[in-house]
Amino acid sequence: MAALWRASKSGSSLLMHLARPAAVTQSRSGTNYIQVNPGDPSMDWKDITDRAAGTVFITELVRGAGVVLGHLFKEPATINYPFEKGPLSPRFRGEHALRRYPSGEERCIACKLCEAICPAQAITIEAEPREDGSRRTTRYDIDMSKCIYCGFCQEACPVDAIVEGPNFEFSTETREEMLYNKEKLLSNGDKWEPEIAANLQADHLYR
Amino acid sequence: MATYLEKLRHFRQAFKQHGGMLGSLKQLYWTEELKVGTYVGADKYGNKYYENNLFFVGRNRWIQYAPQYGMDYDGSQIPSDWHRWMHNIGDTPPTAAPLVEHPWLMDHTENQAGTPGAYVGYKTTKPKIEQWVPPQSKTTQS
Repeated sequence: MAALWRASKSGSSLLMHLARPAAVTQSRSGTNYIQVNPGDPSMDWKDITDRAAGTVFITELVRGAGVVLGHLFKEPATINYPFEKGPLSPRFRGEHALRRYPSGEERCIACKLCEAICPAQAITIEAEPREDGSRRTTRYDIDMSKCIYCGFCQEACPVDAIVEGPNFEFSTETREEMLYNKEKLLSNGDKWEPEIAANLQADHLYR
Repeated sequence: MATYLEKLRHFRQAFKQHGGMLGSLKQLYWTEELKVGTYVGADKYGNKYYENNLFFVGRNRWIQYAPQYGMDYDGSQIPSDWHRWMHNIGDTPPTAAPLVEHPWLMDHTENQAGTPGAYVGYKTTKPKIEQWVPPQSKTTQS
């Protein structure tokens, strides 16, 4: 009876061994698994005593302190803003500016292409003929809280009047300060013109 | 060992460049760093610019803010021409290749937000709707 029971048990386990590879959809033998975790610790007597000694004498703390001491003398991977500053591209799209011709005449001719292309509809323009008959804007407002800095306005501009300058340090304390008008944009241009002109010059082959 | 000697030499050079013990401590309090570098130039506001290409890009150029700013230094105090060099947009400092000059250029100002000089928006157009002023007869006026 016992022999029969044993036979049936071995038979069932044999069946299980046969059925398992068929049930598992992906066979393990055909793949290249790589062991990435450290694996089981070695159970040799020497390694076991080494590990016990490491635990008893808290060598992890000493080694950790060693790493800290090493990093004290290491050159940091961070930059010390505002004394050091990160690299920018000449195409960097920062704060907007309205440029002038070298004569001092403002470039914008109120064609409203920037207003039309602005995906955030941040630009508002109104135009009137000036006393001398030339068409100029009376209102050039940019809502800097709407602007998404896509740069479409400077790409649309036929006279390079509206540009996104290299300045990104124009944070404000109130939302009202972000509603730029024409005078603010022109004064931005007057402040940043040397760098804006140099950046456009650096990029002129690609424009 | 040689690298440690090199570090020690750099430290001694930086110590010397910042004017001994007092200057180095002041510099450490100010910028939390002692760096040795070659003097490239100064802008018209008194900020001095240094370069040392042993450091990686981003740390290789730095500014020593003018002493009149004290602890109120700010990243937006760098004028336009040196801003270009500081941000590694161009490799030539404005002392070597001056940028354009126009008589109508404005002086650089730092970010005025939070100060009385902060920008306040205003309308640059005439209002389209004006308040109605009732016509007044001569008799009621006198």
